[in-house]
Amino acid sequence: MERITFEQVPELFGKIGGLFAEKKEELCEMDARLGDGDLGLTMSKGFGALPELLQAESDGAAGDIGKLLMKAGMKMSSLVPSTMGFLMSTGVMEGGKALKGKTQIGKDELAEYLVGFAAGVQKRGKCEAGQRTIYDAILPAANAAKEAAAGDGATLESVMDAAYEAAKAGCEATKDMVPVFGKAAVHAAQCVGVVDQGAVAGCYMIQGMHDYIC
Amino acid sequence: MKKIMNAPEAYVDDMLKGIYAAHPDMVKYAEDDLRCYCTARKKDGKVAIITGGGSGHLPLFLGYVGDGLIDGCGVGGVFQSPSPEQIYNIAKEVESGAGVLYLYGNYTGDIMTFDMATDLCDMDDIVCKSIVGADDVNSHKDPNTRRGVAGIYFMFKAAGAKADEGGDLDSVLAAAQLAKDNTRTVGFALTPCIIPEVGHPNFELGEDEMAMGMGIHGEPGIWNGPLKTSREIAEESLNTLLEDMPVAEGEEVSILINGLGATSLEELYILSNDVREILSAKGIGIYRTIVGEYATSMEMAGASISICKMNEELKGYMDHPVQTPFICQK
Repeated sequence: MERITFEQVPELFGKIGGLFAEKKEELCEMDARLGDGDLGLTMSKGFGALPELLQAESDGAAGDIGKLLMKAGMKMSSLVPSTMGFLMSTGVMEGGKALKGKTQIGKDELAEYLVGFAAGVQKRGKCEAGQRTIYDAILPAANAAKEAAAGDGATLESVMDAAYEAAKAGCEATKDMVPVFGKAAVHAAQCVGVVDQGAVAGCYMIQGMHDYIC
Repeated sequence: MKKIMNAPEAYVDDMLKGIYAAHPDMVKYAEDDLRCYCTARKKDGKVAIITGGGSGHLPLFLGYVGDGLIDGCGVGGVFQSPSPEQIYNIAKEVESGAGVLYLYGNYTGDIMTFDMATDLCDMDDIVCKSIVGADDVNSHKDPNTRRGVAGIYFMFKAAGAKADEGGDLDSVLAAAQLAKDNTRTVGFALTPCIIPEVGHPNFELGEDEMAMGMGIHGEPGIWNGPLKTSREIAEESLNTLLEDMPVAEGEEVSILINGLGATSLEELYILSNDVREILSAKGIGIYRTIVGEYATSMEMAGASISICKMNEELKGYMDHPVQTPFICQK
């Protein structure tokens, strides 16, 4: 597709929610080993609810995709009040802030959204690249999208492709990172050679967008 | 589990209904949400102070909403954070043009909640500043990583008095910071508590044992061992407190002897007496002695000792009158 309209935004997140519904058990199992075991639930509940939250806010947002995402992201945070839930909903809100006043998402807006999303995760989680978190999947995706959007002949699909490839590579790279946060930091030895489950969740979110756009 | 309730999942909301019904002249809730707890006596032009945190600690946190203290409180489930949207809705209700101070305990979930609420308020051009209580000396060596426990009362007291006197947002924040810099707490538990929706004790402790340094959610302390006498507990606690924050001979402190929920007032006064005698022997004066329940952990037995080093400014804040459904100082 060439662009995402205001009306299509709930469908975009519906695709992400659908993917998380499929991956729920897998994420919960990964998280049980090195987290608190509810990652799959948080992601499927939060993103599963987003399409409805977006529909509910669409009248108030009056065509402004940024406003729509900010309001729906706030509602999402109330549904999933946990660390990962707050990171994701902040991402949606900050991504929305970057799209304030925009009525459709083209190649540039997609990159701006992902850059805003990554900045939101960084701000909320007070994390840096290389600390074995979701940020290690999201930041490379945002950077790749930004770079791709600035290139000649870029399209919405080519920007999304670049972001998805970067997210997968970023996720893979967490295998060799030393954990700084949470239960993983306490059991650091068990993390060697295993991808970070938060990064996997971030990668699935990007994959859901990719599935919709491409 | 023996608790007076109707159902574990109704524990918090039934408790809130009881409080609103008993004190309609003092408190109300915003946005049709029982957990958005607000003062019913909003003062125009005053800096609004909002706190929040899990239920299970009464009178912390909501019990400090009232005259001379704070203006709103996000009420979470037992030992759970409130949501950012709830804090935002409270801010919209109690803010009156002078900005908002978020004052709460240093816990990861609460920090995320209030940071998100700050972002939400930013969209409405409501100015928010934040400060966390982090007074539990035994919880971490690094003062910025410590948990917030009963000593947060001194921060509510200072910030609340400053706001009531008409101070602007920066000066209310500075008052809270002054109290924070001068307050330290040591706590210890004798028995565990039971979270209603869990149904069994949150940790195990032998019949004759105590846990020094345990947090108000049962976070492990620095040692578990045989129960000591009040005098011995007071001595060890004061050594820890004064090593972390030296108080010179001739200086004054206010002390807060706080019960964790199941410890009798008689025991708290026994402990208070020991704390006073030890401080007096060191030549440290006592400005105010506060004894009672200020930050509990439901029916956990145990206590905490907080000291707040006084100067003339803090004495003024300590003397400021307060009235809430849970606390009254004339």
